[in-house]
Amino acid sequence: MPEVSDKIREAARSLLRQHKVDLVVGFERGSIPLRSTPCFVRREEDVDRLIWDSFCENNLAKYLVKRAERVAIVGKGCDVRAVVELIKENQISREQLFIIGVPCQGMVDRRRVEAKLDGREILEVSETDGELELKGDGFSEIVSREEFLYPCCKTCTHRNPVISDVLVADAAAELDSDSHLDVAEFEARSAGERWEYLSREFSKCIRCYACRNACPLCYCQECFVDNSRPQWVGKSTDASDVAVFHIMRAFHLAGRCVDCGACERACPMGVDIRKLNRKLVKDVKARFDYETGLSLDQVAPLSTFRPDDPEEFMLDP
Amino acid sequence: MMVGSKDWKPKILAFLCNWCSYAGADLAGTSRIQYPANVRVIRVPCSGRLNPFFIIAALQHGIDGVLVCGCHPGECHYLSGNYNARRKFALLKGLLEYIGLEEDRVQFSWVSAAEGVRFAKVIAVATEKIKALGPAERLVKKPA
Amino acid sequence: MRAKIIRKEDIAGLLESLMEEYEVFAPVKRDGLVLFERISSASEVFLDYQNSLMPPKQLTFPQTETLFGYSSAKGEVKIEVPHREEKPQLIFGIRPCDASSFVVLDRVFDGEDYKDTYYLERREKTITVSMGCVKPRSTCFCSSVAGGPFSTEGSDLLLIDIGDKYIAQIVSDKGAQLLEKRRFRDATEDELASAATVVKAAEASVGPGVEMDGLKDKLDSSFDDPIWHQLTEKCLSCGICTFLCPTCHCFDIVDEAVDSNGERIRIWDSCQFPLFTLQASGLNPRPTVKERFRQRMMHKFSYFLDKYSRVGCVGCGRCITECPVNLDLRQVLNSVSRLEGVK
Repeated sequence: MPEVSDKIREAARSLLRQHKVDLVVGFERGSIPLRSTPCFVRREEDVDRLIWDSFCENNLAKYLVKRAERVAIVGKGCDVRAVVELIKENQISREQLFIIGVPCQGMVDRRRVEAKLDGREILEVSETDGELELKGDGFSEIVSREEFLYPCCKTCTHRNPVISDVLVADAAAELDSDSHLDVAEFEARSAGERWEYLSREFSKCIRCYACRNACPLCYCQECFVDNSRPQWVGKSTDASDVAVFHIMRAFHLAGRCVDCGACERACPMGVDIRKLNRKLVKDVKARFDYETGLSLDQVAPLSTFRPDDPEEFMLDP
Repeated sequence: MMVGSKDWKPKILAFLCNWCSYAGADLAGTSRIQYPANVRVIRVPCSGRLNPFFIIAALQHGIDGVLVCGCHPGECHYLSGNYNARRKFALLKGLLEYIGLEEDRVQFSWVSAAEGVRFAKVIAVATEKIKALGPAERLVKKPA
Repeated sequence: MRAKIIRKEDIAGLLESLMEEYEVFAPVKRDGLVLFERISSASEVFLDYQNSLMPPKQLTFPQTETLFGYSSAKGEVKIEVPHREEKPQLIFGIRPCDASSFVVLDRVFDGEDYKDTYYLERREKTITVSMGCVKPRSTCFCSSVAGGPFSTEGSDLLLIDIGDKYIAQIVSDKGAQLLEKRRFRDATEDELASAATVVKAAEASVGPGVEMDGLKDKLDSSFDDPIWHQLTEKCLSCGICTFLCPTCHCFDIVDEAVDSNGERIRIWDSCQFPLFTLQASGLNPRPTVKERFRQRMMHKFSYFLDKYSRVGCVGCGRCITECPVNLDLRQVLNSVSRLEGVK
């Protein structure tokens, strides 16, 4: 998206030239096809490295936590919602930030694109007008962007940054509110089926913690899995410990997860990590009428209460 | 104990808040009210103190059911501990059921210091439900 | 070259017969991922792949391995050693980079000072039937690190695909014995010539990868250079590169016990984890991603060279394709190589 890239560079150039920020965090071209990669620009002459395309999949809010400098972030919808939560949790101050907001058209699921090519290696990608041209040794194929968006992008209801200091593209069309159909579908299965599915997914987990490390809201100095006194959860690939890791990480993100999908995208083994987070997103909305990351004024659901909170789940013989 | 063995007795852990439910349990005892003896009690200062990990760790190590009791809303000794707990447990219970853990294994209830009868009833109901489910298997950590 | 011919239609039969003698591990496609798994039927094998996601080091160095169990009662402690599989294991269809990774791991686990019995027990009963790479990936750089798409290091047999059949190059006695028992004819001169063409083309297609010339010296002298901060700033400090790396071998040993009964377990650890170097005093000499990532590069491309006279990397490229932030070690190392003002 060359126009967006230009506007991002313009904004970054101006900010650095006027010494309004010390650092611009954005994306630059990756070293292999289908990848764009986080980029840290501190000098005006490096501004032209910044780009915007369908592969800017990382959540850059991750790189803001506890920074002392003034930072500009090139944030798409979900990144900015994570920023809102980080501000509320005092991990960065609003005054330090300059938000270059990018209304997002969704990011392309590179693994699904690769799978479609069925083993043929993609050596070059070019993007125009909603289509991706994939070239390799002896082949060239065109695929539609829309068809290959990440699942979280397909259910995203906040493509437009909720706060920003400048917007570098026209507003993106927002989908209707999230009806959490995927969660309802899973809930409709039997308990046994759900356990089966999750056991199978967790059996793929290699405890690399990429999911946790990619998540902007996972910023604890010492994560619960690293504790040894007390040891909350074993560190091996034992099935029970792996399940507990995912369950408790999801629970620690209850009311804090912005459903950006960074966890799922980081996972090398394709574990369906968001399955648990989605359930909590739905419950938090249904029970406490709260959607994460929409406003600096909304208090996180587990930091507050209402005397009349629903308690139908309780045992009352 | 083997699944379905007639001699199997459920192991149930009850986290009781010091000011209300633990006192309620005490009252049940001094009133000589009978209730199933499968429950092991752990006293906590407030239901809000309960780290969800306690429940998860219990399930991992073969506890068949967990019960958490606190003061009725509005009566918390620390004013709002039980309100926070209520939100936490609502989400935790939903999540545990969602992953396939049987609905009745983890229960939450309000019991006040004056409710000896109610405490016994809560225990009895919870025990029945857990007994019906059989020994806990999902999430149990098995030796390598 | 001593070589036999195995027709492609005979592979299934060969695998079935091998399964009688060995536990056979081969690439299998599961949920869209290619992994090395134990097969019970030749039909499970998936050979239309570039490389597996998880490296085969799991087969000699499992991610979770119970060393022993212990129980204590009445003042007596009982130790229980887990039962080991008796059958030898055959790894079919691994790539030459992965095969040579075993040789790299041998340097550490089968060293002069120390022999790791857990690793060696599995290693000694392992035989490798490798599949050379007719089409290396653009992210492969085996040639930069003394390897190659048809390198025989670490293989007992190396299969070269020449169309409708494989040339089975006999690399070791183990490999020779394996084929002797099953009748396969010798390769003809023509067939060997075809193989040579395939090999040459593959070797020519491996990308430039890492500039190794002078790299070690540059690494050694640029330890404090500020470029390391820039190069590593986007690293997430997860363990993907280390866990997917066929030569990474750091581990932790943990005891998991309930009261006085438990198990001592060895698990993979990662120098990229923030707490890897946390000391009991509270000091952490590698507190940020810069120190940790730099350490990994130094270890593989300098310290390993010092200690074992070879680079600790086989150029498989998994760290490049799977890194969630596309931190490409080729770019990192080439940037260091090009540093001015350092020797």
